[in-house]
Amino acid sequence: MLQSQGNEVLVTVADDLVTADKNSLSSLTAPPLASSQSVPLPFPMSHGTTTLAFMFQGGVLAAADTRSSCSGLVACPAAQKILPIHSHLVSTTSGTSADCALWKRILARELRLYQLRHGRRLSTGGAAKLLSHMLHPFKGTKLCVAATLCGWDGGEKQSFSGPRLFYVCSDGTRLQGSLFSVGSGSPYAYSILDQGVEWKLTVDEAISIAREAVYRATHRDAYSGNFVDIYHISSKGWTRRSREDLKEEYYREKEKRTKEKRDVAGLDSVCAEK
Amino acid sequence: MALEDICNLRNSCLHQNWLPASPATSFLMTDCYNLGLKGPKKSQRNNEVPLQFFIPPLLNSTSFLNRSPSSYFQGNPPVTVRRPFPLSHGTTTLGFVFQGGVIAAADTRASAGGLVACPEVEKINPIHSHLVVTSSGSGADCMLWERILTREIRLYQLRHKRCLSISGTAKLLSFMLHPFKGTDVCVALTLCGWDKELIYVCSDGARLQGNIFSVGSGSPYAYGVLDRELSWSLSNEEAISLAREAVFRATHRDAYSGNNVDLFHITAQGWHQRKRENLKEEYYRDMKKRGLF
Repeated sequence: MLQSQGNEVLVTVADDLVTADKNSLSSLTAPPLASSQSVPLPFPMSHGTTTLAFMFQGGVLAAADTRSSCSGLVACPAAQKILPIHSHLVSTTSGTSADCALWKRILARELRLYQLRHGRRLSTGGAAKLLSHMLHPFKGTKLCVAATLCGWDGGEKQSFSGPRLFYVCSDGTRLQGSLFSVGSGSPYAYSILDQGVEWKLTVDEAISIAREAVYRATHRDAYSGNFVDIYHISSKGWTRRSREDLKEEYYREKEKRTKEKRDVAGLDSVCAEK
Repeated sequence: MALEDICNLRNSCLHQNWLPASPATSFLMTDCYNLGLKGPKKSQRNNEVPLQFFIPPLLNSTSFLNRSPSSYFQGNPPVTVRRPFPLSHGTTTLGFVFQGGVIAAADTRASAGGLVACPEVEKINPIHSHLVVTSSGSGADCMLWERILTREIRLYQLRHKRCLSISGTAKLLSFMLHPFKGTDVCVALTLCGWDKELIYVCSDGARLQGNIFSVGSGSPYAYGVLDRELSWSLSNEEAISLAREAVFRATHRDAYSGNNVDLFHITAQGWHQRKRENLKEEYYRDMKKRGLF
């Protein structure tokens, strides 16, 4: 399906990937770190990140932290894990950051070529299938990409119009869904999202739930942290909120909790005096 | 004692090394193995109880005795039965402190690999009227060590006419587990006591005090919910419903947690157990509320 020139590029790139990955500094696939050797981890630690995406009546919301880690070192505290592909498609990335950056560019290029040839945008499902098939030859290698494609399908020549969410990963998984969270911080985010995500959320409520979920995950997970990025994809395209420092959120909450504790203690002492 | 019979102590040589302090108290489970000391140290205040770590005999008691004290600590684990499945703390238990006392909650699923071995296990067990312990890890090990701990606490209470503090209990448990560090013993307990204290003890040797703990494969899911809503000033009902919600969310996402939720509320008056609730009902109620049904 790819042009011959494209194939050559792909082959050389593939060789580089296989050899370079061993020396890759920006690898996010840390080996499983257990607190002690004798206790096995409940689940394998990998994809050191927290990204999430969910659908609601206002479109799709994607959120992610910004910590790029490398076996205990924070390689970059201000990485970008949500990469826009075109005006109506955004992908959240997890896994090896080098692989994700490369494959996002390859996917963006293929989608642009498709649009030029056929006069219409490829649907999110089509993009997911394309990415999945492109990744397939690398199954079994050390390539590690786990992306969620968040898009809005629409336009005059499309049969379906509305938000769409797909999860694609380099094992070959390709799933459609309405809520995904990927990465080592994902369990912490999942429980918050399960509590609050409904179809009829307003945009502001959805943003606040996504922020809260990433914040809780960064609080408990060592490999997630620093800032939170939020992208909202609607029929008009994607919009990006300005990056928020979660440190502020932590101090705000701490202040609120100590104030509450002081209030309760004050009440107790008042009652005791009486 | 039943435990004595189970561990086949009557026939073992330990019986002969028995140093009775008084006929009434039984040292059968105490290993008078001096751990390399010249002679058992005795404390006058302790009614002549040798100050040694209490080590129950292992399955092959004779081979345990024949080994010299120094070689025991070289990390050679005694002959153990191979695990039929890999352990992974497949559970969700949690405990937190708030103004109304301590809440301990857990699911009730015991899993063995991919099989639900028992859907109605009790993971929270009372030690005495004001102390409750949540367990995680290997079910057999937890059951045994809870019994041992209960016995030791009761003995302490009889000897010293007062309850051992929670930190003392945790320290005792931690020291009792220490000889098994490096072996396959897998125990992660959270002691929840009346004095608004919460201590996590695990067989690796960790002993941590804190205000909120969640242990097990479902713990990340529970942590998310707890971190969000937990505050000191919750009322009793709010705390209980928060604990229930946290376990529910964990059982929803984690395959190794599920079935029911047990809840204990510990106050200065003692512990109080709520009726066990099936989370299936909770699931349907939640789906309906969110309009997904």
